[in-house]
Amino acid sequence: MATAATAPAAAQKGYEHEGGIWSWLTTVDHKRIGALYLYTALLWFLVGGLEALVIRIQLQGPNGRFVSAEMYNQLFTMHGTTMIFLVIMPLSAAFFNLLIPLQIGARDVAFPRLNAFSYWVYLFGSLFMNASWLVGAAPNGGWFGYTPLTSTFSPGLNIDFWVLGLQILGVSSLAAGFNFITTIINMRAPGMHFMRMPIFTWMAFIVQFLLVLAFPVITIALVFLQFDRFFGTQFYEAAAGADPLLWQHLFWIFGHPEVYILILPAFGLVSEVLPTFSRKPLFGYPVMVYSGMLIAFLGFGVWAHHMFAVGMGPIADTLFAVTTMLIGIPTGVKIFNWIFTMWGGDIRFTTAMKFAIALVALFTIGGISGVMHASPPADLQQTDTYFIVAHFHYVLFGGSMMGLLAGLYYYFPKFTGRMLSEKIGTWHFWLTFVGMNLTFMPMHWSGLLGMPRRTWVYDAGQGLETLNLMSSLGAYIQVLAVLVGAYNVLVSMRRGVRAGNDPWGGPTLEWSIPSPPPDYNFAAIPTVTSRYPLWEHHAPGTSDIPRTISDQRVPTAKELGIPMPNPSIKPLFVALFMTLMFACMLLIHLGKTPLAIAGIITCATLMTFSLYSWLLTPLEDEH
Amino acid sequence: MPADSRPRRLFRAALTVALASLIAGCVQNPNSVFHNRTDFNRDVGSLFSLLIWLGTIVFVFTEVMLVWALIKYRSRPGSPRKPEQTHGNTKLEILWTAIPAVVLAIIAVPTVQTIFKTQGAARADALRVEVVGHQWWWEFRYPDYGVVTANELYLPLGRTVNFALSTHDVIHSFWIPALGGKRDLVNNRTNHLWFTPDSTTDDAFNGYCAEFCGISHANMRFRAFTVTPEQFASWVAHQQSSAVFHPQPATPATTPGTAGAAAATAPRTPVAVAPAPGAQPVPPPTAPVQAGFVSFPADKMPNHAIPKTPIPPGLAVDTTLKGDPARGMQLVSTGACIGCHTVKGVPSMVSKVGPDLTHVGSRLTIGGGLFPNDTRHLFAWIKNARAMKPGIQMPTMGKGQYDPIVKTTLTVGYTDQQIADVVAYLQALK
Repeated sequence: MATAATAPAAAQKGYEHEGGIWSWLTTVDHKRIGALYLYTALLWFLVGGLEALVIRIQLQGPNGRFVSAEMYNQLFTMHGTTMIFLVIMPLSAAFFNLLIPLQIGARDVAFPRLNAFSYWVYLFGSLFMNASWLVGAAPNGGWFGYTPLTSTFSPGLNIDFWVLGLQILGVSSLAAGFNFITTIINMRAPGMHFMRMPIFTWMAFIVQFLLVLAFPVITIALVFLQFDRFFGTQFYEAAAGADPLLWQHLFWIFGHPEVYILILPAFGLVSEVLPTFSRKPLFGYPVMVYSGMLIAFLGFGVWAHHMFAVGMGPIADTLFAVTTMLIGIPTGVKIFNWIFTMWGGDIRFTTAMKFAIALVALFTIGGISGVMHASPPADLQQTDTYFIVAHFHYVLFGGSMMGLLAGLYYYFPKFTGRMLSEKIGTWHFWLTFVGMNLTFMPMHWSGLLGMPRRTWVYDAGQGLETLNLMSSLGAYIQVLAVLVGAYNVLVSMRRGVRAGNDPWGGPTLEWSIPSPPPDYNFAAIPTVTSRYPLWEHHAPGTSDIPRTISDQRVPTAKELGIPMPNPSIKPLFVALFMTLMFACMLLIHLGKTPLAIAGIITCATLMTFSLYSWLLTPLEDEH
Repeated sequence: MPADSRPRRLFRAALTVALASLIAGCVQNPNSVFHNRTDFNRDVGSLFSLLIWLGTIVFVFTEVMLVWALIKYRSRPGSPRKPEQTHGNTKLEILWTAIPAVVLAIIAVPTVQTIFKTQGAARADALRVEVVGHQWWWEFRYPDYGVVTANELYLPLGRTVNFALSTHDVIHSFWIPALGGKRDLVNNRTNHLWFTPDSTTDDAFNGYCAEFCGISHANMRFRAFTVTPEQFASWVAHQQSSAVFHPQPATPATTPGTAGAAAATAPRTPVAVAPAPGAQPVPPPTAPVQAGFVSFPADKMPNHAIPKTPIPPGLAVDTTLKGDPARGMQLVSTGACIGCHTVKGVPSMVSKVGPDLTHVGSRLTIGGGLFPNDTRHLFAWIKNARAMKPGIQMPTMGKGQYDPIVKTTLTVGYTDQQIADVVAYLQALK
């Protein structure tokens, strides 16, 4: 049994089983599942980044011919789909898994096997979605998949992969959402009432509600589309009198809360990083909590601001303009509270801190441009142009990704026992920062100078050459940044400086236990008496919470008599057969309907069997 | 205007211009949304400058405060501060809840005013134009005049134009950035957009499809020409006439563009112009119709409106071949072309699938605004349109050409000489 003291490097290999791949396939440990999420999402980040790189090569000059129009459409569709569903959401899920039980003083999530199931569904769903590249039919209808283009007018397998893939991935998000809600409500350590909960867990808590409320909507929209495509229903069939705006409404009722699903976890991470490196508590904790809730709540009432150009009429435009502007208020409050968290502090510019500050600086830009297209008449000149591309990259790259990278640098030591190199990290940060701004800042101009989005080519002589060249150069710098970051992770995993329990002097419970934590997390469940248990006596580094001494041998769960859930392969099987069941649908469009039906029945049977077998096996040994 | 406020106003105006030109870059930005050439763009422009001003102030204020905090409170080696452990400040937090609320209220009021202004009903005497989106080209109809054309829009200066937008297939979005905001073309409904091109000069503007509509979304472009009311009347009269090329009579069918050309040609052509129900005759004769304004003059075409899409390598174009328009007409009116295209006056050419070709020779661009309408490009287009514009219905016509959609090489099809004939005919359709 590996422990932090004797073999910290074994963190990636496991505590219970000496590095066997089987231990990874059967794991129900939230930290290992979190690590699986993390590394899988980082791999898809490389893929999504590569797609973006090809897009920027194509657009580097006017009338580019680097890729074909069809390939370009597949690339931008998959870039968006990948970055949203396969990178930012799972990266957030990685942090939910890694952090929530530790921050609330729990030994695992409420349903450890369901947690494993969520991951495997994500993995198989992402593989299914990207398998489309192998048959040359990657989705090509945009990540927003507007009907009727994606129904009647796209007969190929492309959209089938997208419709089925998103449904698979939705199962993963829903399962995880219910799991974390249950975990946070029921498994907090004694004394940790809601207003003592770490702010990241708070944001994660809010996000789970967004997930379980928003994903059913997209699922319904996708099922309609799937039935239109496969079984001849006419939910979106314009020729039969359907209103294709039904899709747009359903999609954006999901799509806008989705934006907050993507950004709130990053807000949470940054709200952990800023206090630690300012040596000051988060400014206005209750307001940060309430503003998060308010953003999430208002987020369900603004969806049609994505549709100002469809002609909803002045009343609807006014309503959605005003609700959208209202969101600016709680968001602005967050920005100022972050700045005042640093105000009067003792700011240490670690790499994590730099990424966190970048979020504050860059998200502000995305927020301001967001208010600009909350105004419908102005939006008519902005929507579907590169101005919007600039805006949401400032939100999702400048916001979400910067926050997640801050989280990566901040929590990497906790989960691997080793520090990421600060020296390489500084390079990683500055290349990302410069590259990101060089790519996306000029897009504000290209949009206002008349460049529509999702266009394979633009003509020469339109005043767009220089701006696009700048964006492409920025993209090449970002490639360099990603390579430097990847190098840092790979090298530091093996040779990084050993991290103790608490390399940064953090305030929350996760820093009281060894790095990497033992499988049971807390030898004794701590009793919490304040918001910052490790800074209890009103100063960083003071606390009554028992800390494990790093160089002591960490006892095993068995020695401590802590019952641990048994590993199980069954969640993986359920996820696998579920994915295959969806995949069999493709056979219908290949003209092999009997085979498809046989395949679906077989996979459904196997899935049900695995599920029952899982449910009939006790989680823990009798004790 | 009170005298005392004048310098301040001038200063503000100067700053706005400076900022706007910073944004527009001022030079060589033909499609900038900051061209104040219509009432619509002026309304949006004033709203936009408010947004930019407030946005800039908020941006500078926030970022300066952030950078200030970072510099002032950075940890200095050797002398770590013990920061005061403040948890918040209710007064401050109320303050920065209130400030964004006020800023947003300042934006919301003119926003709502502009919404209702720009989305109100257009003037009753507005020029009606029906825009129909097709994958991937634009059909423009002038129902008051019975004119149908494609990819090139003529708008009289000073007259409000009211577009009725609909789609033939998927959702598109109609956008001429320099003239106004976009509006989607949505199935089973008709959207409206109106503005008044009121600049004093005629000009050519680029238009785009702004909603992703499939493989050639980027290639669905069009041109809008603003012309004087006299020129417009002349253009309309010419558009109403039937095809001007006839192989039999030695004399030209009619003098193109004269008023009443439609009436003159109608008796001689089997397919006469059928004015739309309730259509007005040729525009109100407030001004004498300028004779012979068949199209926007090619020599006045600004550089930005001339398409520069390259012809794909390997598509050989032989412009030395001399085409015979009569033979070309024979090929067009009996061949595959009749499946999709209309040429008014030619009995076999009545299909509405593709663009109306009655006056295709007078257009300045082809292929959905992708290529200039010259011999070389027209030749290449007839030979292998699918190689020039991905995904389109217009088939590959040239013998021995590879059709990228069917993925076969044509064993039958037009020879280069036949293509030259077709080109000659199309060019004769002024």
